[in-house]
Amino acid sequence: MIKNILNSLEEGFIAFLLVGMTFLVVGEVLARFVFNHGVLWIEELTLHASAWMVLFGASWALKKKAHIGVDAFVKIFQTNVQRVMGGIAVTISLAYCGILTYGGFVYLGKLKKIGIELDDIALEKWMAHSILVIGMVLLAIRLVQLLWRIIKGTEVGFGHVDEADTALEEAHIPKPKH
Amino acid sequence: MTTAFLFLLLLITMLLGVPVAIALGFSSAVTIMIFSQDSLASVALKFFEAVSAHYTLLAIPFFILSSAFLSGGGVARRIINFAIDCVGHVRGGLAMASVLACMIFAAVSGSSPATVAAIGSVVIVGMVKAGYPKAFGAGVICNAGTLGILIPPSIVMLVYSAATEVSAARMFMAGFVPGIMMGLLLMLAIYIVARIKNLPAQEWVGIKQLSTSLWQASGGLFLIVIVLGAIYGGIASPTEAAAVSTMYAFMVACFGYRDLGPMKEIPWFKDGESTGQMLSRNVWQMTRALPFCVMDKDIRHTIMEAAKVSIMLLFIIANAMLFAHVLTTERIPHEVASLIVGWGLPAWGFLIVVNILLLAAGNFMEPSAILLIMAPILFPIAVQLGIDPIHLGIIMVVNMEIGMITPPVGLNLFVTAGITGESLGWATRAALPWLGLLLFFLILITYIPQISLFLPEYLDKLHGYN
Repeated sequence: MIKNILNSLEEGFIAFLLVGMTFLVVGEVLARFVFNHGVLWIEELTLHASAWMVLFGASWALKKKAHIGVDAFVKIFQTNVQRVMGGIAVTISLAYCGILTYGGFVYLGKLKKIGIELDDIALEKWMAHSILVIGMVLLAIRLVQLLWRIIKGTEVGFGHVDEADTALEEAHIPKPKH
Repeated sequence: MTTAFLFLLLLITMLLGVPVAIALGFSSAVTIMIFSQDSLASVALKFFEAVSAHYTLLAIPFFILSSAFLSGGGVARRIINFAIDCVGHVRGGLAMASVLACMIFAAVSGSSPATVAAIGSVVIVGMVKAGYPKAFGAGVICNAGTLGILIPPSIVMLVYSAATEVSAARMFMAGFVPGIMMGLLLMLAIYIVARIKNLPAQEWVGIKQLSTSLWQASGGLFLIVIVLGAIYGGIASPTEAAAVSTMYAFMVACFGYRDLGPMKEIPWFKDGESTGQMLSRNVWQMTRALPFCVMDKDIRHTIMEAAKVSIMLLFIIANAMLFAHVLTTERIPHEVASLIVGWGLPAWGFLIVVNILLLAAGNFMEPSAILLIMAPILFPIAVQLGIDPIHLGIIMVVNMEIGMITPPVGLNLFVTAGITGESLGWATRAALPWLGLLLFFLILITYIPQISLFLPEYLDKLHGYN
């Protein structure tokens, strides 16, 4: 129950950002042509909305198995070896999250200390950029879950879906059997 | 040493199955930690800048969303019908119509696999029914689909312009003529093969039917006018044009064609209605349907699918930018440049090196990532040798096209194998005869810069810039 609510909140937020970006840019175009008046803050807001969508959505995309990767090499080996390689791959990804979370934390701390605001919006910069740390922590949580499933043996790795499958799905064609 | 470490780490992590994006980011971050004085905070800053400082790249999610509405909304099917009515009556006409449909769809979408999936899923079956060999149909679609990234709008071009600061609008102008040329070349080859193999022709449907199918496809065709017209006319930036086209694609799919969304089963015309009644009923129903769009399952699904692809792609791009940043701070482009310039290669010799390098890389990596890694290295050399940046961009795009139909990671091959239900090896063999044509086209593009530069220069003159 709670899981369902969380899931739809997560998807809703991503959809809201994507649709919101579209409306913002269209709104800017309208403002320029119809009212002959450019709106300065829209560009900055849209860019940040896009950053939030990507960084917040990176962990969601992991859940949806949307990140592409090469699995031709891994597939040569037996399932157990694949599991070990998958475990190493997830650990490397966790290290990546660790590095960026730490770096992001230091960076946000510095921004907060200086206390500067965004260029055209009256919002402290460290808040607008905080999604870097949030996104990386979320990604790390999903990676730990994946690692646990690999250790238990219910999954062998990232289980990449290639971009090809996604294109097929978009055109509403059933996935091929690999 | 640093360079070797960086690339080796990337290779190992990728082979282990780490997602491309994370492999790029991880290898760059670790390289910075070991070899450079930069702090991790500056890595974080660079990374955030990569996701938030490129207005051009915003066009990518918009184009993905608009093409998702179009392929889900039955626009692809109407474009195909129109193309068949146009050229179907020529010998081999169904295959030529498929190429034409791919060209038109390429002009509303920015991606190759999406083009193959949207057009191929319908026309390959149709061609087999009409008596074409299945491998012939699949090979044609696999190749024509690569036009998705050459005919503007194109995601790969947006990435190139973000990497090199070349204007995306000018790249979009430059891709137009080569794209049309490539399409015509494919059609010509099909015609010759059809003559030799005695492939069937459809019946000529007549002007009346042609204009009906033109009218039915016009909702999709008008999108091309909006996007390209706005960009070529210098009215709007590619990002703005993309956002407007997304809005338009949504309206056409939901309220025009009504193939998805809350108005799915409601017809435009009911029997025994006067024009006035019809108009007022439709306006009223559309207004009433508008709030329901937020909750609609189809629309939601389309948006989430587009979000998935956009996030995946933008996340790769951000990490690839971090990678490119490491390359630049280690002065690797500079070293490679002085090495290659030291060989004393003429411009044409350098272009051969570019082709070989990109064709090799295109076999293993996602096109956007390759562009972001290679562009900073190749760009300064090209400028030194007097090669136009726009021309270099088009060469890179055509190389990426070829990468899409060569194994092991040719995306178009995967999609073709998927829609035909055959194996990857089968799809590769089907596409192989046409690969020669694409290589010939690559030579043309590489050594005749005027093909790419003609339109942007002409439009400049028209606007009176020089």
